[in-house]
Amino acid sequence: MTFTLTLSPADLLLMLPELFLTVWLCVVLIIDFSMPRFPKRNLAYLSVLGLAVVLANLVWYDRAGVTGTLFNHMFVLDRMAIFFKIFIVVSTILVILASIDYVKRFKFFKGEYYFLVLMSALGMMFMASANDLLSIFITLEFSTFGFYVLVAYLREDPASNEAGLKFFILGVFAAGLLAYGISLVYGETGKIVLSDIASAPATPGLIIGYLLIFAALGFKIGAAPFHSWIPDTYHGAPTPVTAFLSIAPKGAAFAILLRLFFISLAAFKPAWVLLLVLTSILSMTYGNIVAIAQKNIKRLLAYSGIAQIGNVLIGLAAGTKMGSDAILFYLLTYLFANLGAFAIVIAVGNLINSDEIEDYNGLNRRSPFLAFAMLVFLLSLAGVPPLAGFIGKLYIFVAAIKEGLYTLIIVGLVNVVISIYYYLVVVKKMYINEPVDNSPLVVSAPMQAVIYASLAGTLILGIYPQPVIDWVVGATMMFSHIVAPTVAVVPPIIGG
Amino acid sequence: MMQELTYAFPILSWLVFLPLIGALIIWVLEDQDLIRKSALGISALQLALAALVFKDFVPESPAMQFTERLAWIPALGINYHLAIDGISVLFVGLTAFLMILVVLYSWDTVRVRIKEYYIALLALETTIVGIFVSLDLILFFVFWELMLIPSYFLIKLWGGGAERQYAALKYVLYTLLGSVFMLVGIVLLNLNYHDWAVAHAVQPAYSFDFLDLLAVPIPPDQQLLMFWLIFLGLAFKAPMFPFHTWLPDALVEGPIGMSVVLAGLKLGTYGFMRFSLPLLPDASTNSHVVTALMTLALVGILYGAIVALIQPDFRRLLAFSSISHLGFVVLGIFALNFQGLQGSLLTMINLGFSTAGLFFVSGFLYVRRHSTDLSAFGGAAKQVPLLATFLLIIGLASIGLPGTNGFVGEFLILLGTFQAYWLFGVFAVTGVIFGAAYFLWYYERAMFGPLSPNFPRTITDLNAREMIIAVSLCIMIFWIGLYPSPFLRMMNGSIQALTERLERGTVATATGTRLEPRASRHEARDPETNNAAISSRGPRLASRAGS
Repeated sequence: MTFTLTLSPADLLLMLPELFLTVWLCVVLIIDFSMPRFPKRNLAYLSVLGLAVVLANLVWYDRAGVTGTLFNHMFVLDRMAIFFKIFIVVSTILVILASIDYVKRFKFFKGEYYFLVLMSALGMMFMASANDLLSIFITLEFSTFGFYVLVAYLREDPASNEAGLKFFILGVFAAGLLAYGISLVYGETGKIVLSDIASAPATPGLIIGYLLIFAALGFKIGAAPFHSWIPDTYHGAPTPVTAFLSIAPKGAAFAILLRLFFISLAAFKPAWVLLLVLTSILSMTYGNIVAIAQKNIKRLLAYSGIAQIGNVLIGLAAGTKMGSDAILFYLLTYLFANLGAFAIVIAVGNLINSDEIEDYNGLNRRSPFLAFAMLVFLLSLAGVPPLAGFIGKLYIFVAAIKEGLYTLIIVGLVNVVISIYYYLVVVKKMYINEPVDNSPLVVSAPMQAVIYASLAGTLILGIYPQPVIDWVVGATMMFSHIVAPTVAVVPPIIGG
Repeated sequence: MMQELTYAFPILSWLVFLPLIGALIIWVLEDQDLIRKSALGISALQLALAALVFKDFVPESPAMQFTERLAWIPALGINYHLAIDGISVLFVGLTAFLMILVVLYSWDTVRVRIKEYYIALLALETTIVGIFVSLDLILFFVFWELMLIPSYFLIKLWGGGAERQYAALKYVLYTLLGSVFMLVGIVLLNLNYHDWAVAHAVQPAYSFDFLDLLAVPIPPDQQLLMFWLIFLGLAFKAPMFPFHTWLPDALVEGPIGMSVVLAGLKLGTYGFMRFSLPLLPDASTNSHVVTALMTLALVGILYGAIVALIQPDFRRLLAFSSISHLGFVVLGIFALNFQGLQGSLLTMINLGFSTAGLFFVSGFLYVRRHSTDLSAFGGAAKQVPLLATFLLIIGLASIGLPGTNGFVGEFLILLGTFQAYWLFGVFAVTGVIFGAAYFLWYYERAMFGPLSPNFPRTITDLNAREMIIAVSLCIMIFWIGLYPSPFLRMMNGSIQALTERLERGTVATATGTRLEPRASRHEARDPETNNAAISSRGPRLASRAGS
């Protein structure tokens, strides 16, 4: 096999956002090295500035309809890739702003923190464009390296070290699974581009290969039963890193999952629906039930995150164009609600130095703003109308009911009720219980910006979602060929 | 087919969002007295708007009136569609009426977190009015769910009972469990519409709009599934007999204002008449469904009444009598004839005056003795004659004495039930007798006899504010009791249309005039008909479509 690489400078423009970010993160690192007096806080603003330029570039590409592939289809820029890149950039901007106060806790390497966050973001942006097995492996590992360091950033804290070690060992194990799965698929088909391997007949080797790849990606999104690293890692990692970890990599991994299932595996849909249904049911049920018992807010959000991913998998199990629209929309609602909730955990953690749910007692008395914002985010995560989470869940459920996945839907809906319970426990502590300490809490300006942005996202996506729905519908246009198998919408029931 | 009338200005949106605006105003206020006055002002304005709706409502008409329709999320077929007809119009007035009384009642009985209380109360009013005026099923569902949030806080923060934490959570989780099933039913309705729209190349491809859903046929076996799913949501909220366990807790532990709303505004049974029956006529008339529901209703009537009989606590007694009354409403609805439906609708309104009124009175009792338990009373009539009188009047209305509103409603329900299934009627009549027994027995023990030795002499009779509440309730009780025809005229047109719909079923409707509603609604947007909306002669309602 010969590779002919024809590359013109104009082609490279497809990678302009990534190239710019590469240069920018080097600039951030060099400034940090060479100008020790440069305030670290300004490094954060510098990083945000760079990301804002990238965001503008991506929005321009989206409006202008710039698409194409590079390097023999390794790298693809389509509207879905742009969507996920915007998703990653927005979450990175919010995470960096939310980190500014927290970074003061680090004794060393305050500047490198921003560099590592930007590097992980860069890796995830490549993930959104990964279009063959090789680039999936490279980009996935690239994005994870930054996180290995970030999770263990609190060097003095044994919990952070434990988190880092757990994440590293299990992450490397998942990487091994991925590599092995890829080698099996390549061995069976002799091809690596996702659209090329679609036509291969199902052989045992191929099936095992795909299952291994799915397991590795399941690790990345934290779906049960590949979730075991999540609680301790989320708990021990610095909270802004936890926030980042809970959103951006999941989004990027869903870009790969969507391409893998809807392009490479489109023909095998009847076979994988059951796999996804089971994973989804397991994630939702396990996440929600274990969340009830949590005393620490970070662990609570960790388990609720596992359950939320179960919800997103419902859309994947639907396996239709509408399902993919719903996934994109749901991830956006999750981005704002989850990041907003974590922003409040960071803010409260900075002020009272605790992540225990007990210490949220009477938050309403101490800071009505924080309590109200938390209420909105938790209710959105629970799917209460008219917040973003409700429209997201509705979209996913409509897509799945349309495919007749009734068991899944009933389990999903019962899980909504369970989740309301533990979210309400937090609400009760904030609003009903009396605080031990009555001193008011003051939130810093960048933190306020993050919370207001998340609030705006949560409310707008709930009250006026149509423009965003139009956007996600356009972004997944390439899946419109997936025709739903003709099944009756409602199964006939006996009697009557 | 279905006619729609518009109005000179978006009055229903005002009705829905005025309380919310009021809540926002109260949010920025600090002075307690000003907060109370603003809440009262907003409620009065709300009542005035409701009165305007009543004035310009065209009675004896099946039309959807005061229509407002905007696309909200076209991708999923969700519209912002508000309208009322004979089924919902009275509830809008009732909500405004009860809310102003609740604000009056709370004036000096709510003493902690006053600002938050009125914010929660007004937010609750927004969601409830929203439930009654929404014609889009998702919009309806949004308000339906949203109602839980202010309710949760109201029960939890201002409830009087020791178990209020538990009651609030139980209420939220139970109703939520029901509503998630209802959501599946709603989505199935939409998808059924979608299949039909695709097959007939009709736009829009998705719709949650009540009028669109009315226009398509639904296979009877699918109707059954949808019916039971939606039933779960409505039955938990109503609550019907086996799903009722949250109600006594919420009514007893919560504040009086919340109990008035929960017991006085029959959201669940409204849902049956608004959505289940017209959208799923074949399932609703299915003999298994009717038998099952009427049996549940009957069990509810007797169970509620018998349990009420042995309650020493007045509020708990009211909670169980509420379950019993709800059984009557369901019985009337599933008699599926004109009298039954009319009686049920009127009874739902009546309960807003009688049961809710009794909750007010129980509040009056509670304020005086810090208990509504029988042991705190005895011979109280001597000390508080006015309170005793009003308790008797409202109580007699609740047990359906001729001359009061309760009689008209219950009589119509029993008439309808006897026509449809006489055996159910016979059993239901025994429920009426139990109803008289539990109330009169409690009344006799609490109010007559020797004055209880532990009843303090310092207790005073009703004050001016309480008199306003009691008198206005009594006016409504006797108005409907003696001269019900204005109210019946308002509902008759829609009830007639509903009975016809039940006779025809969806398939028959769909073969003849499927496309008409949509087509006529579009052509109705021409400027000429809209001009008519501005002209002031006659009622200011303009027809958007010929029937």
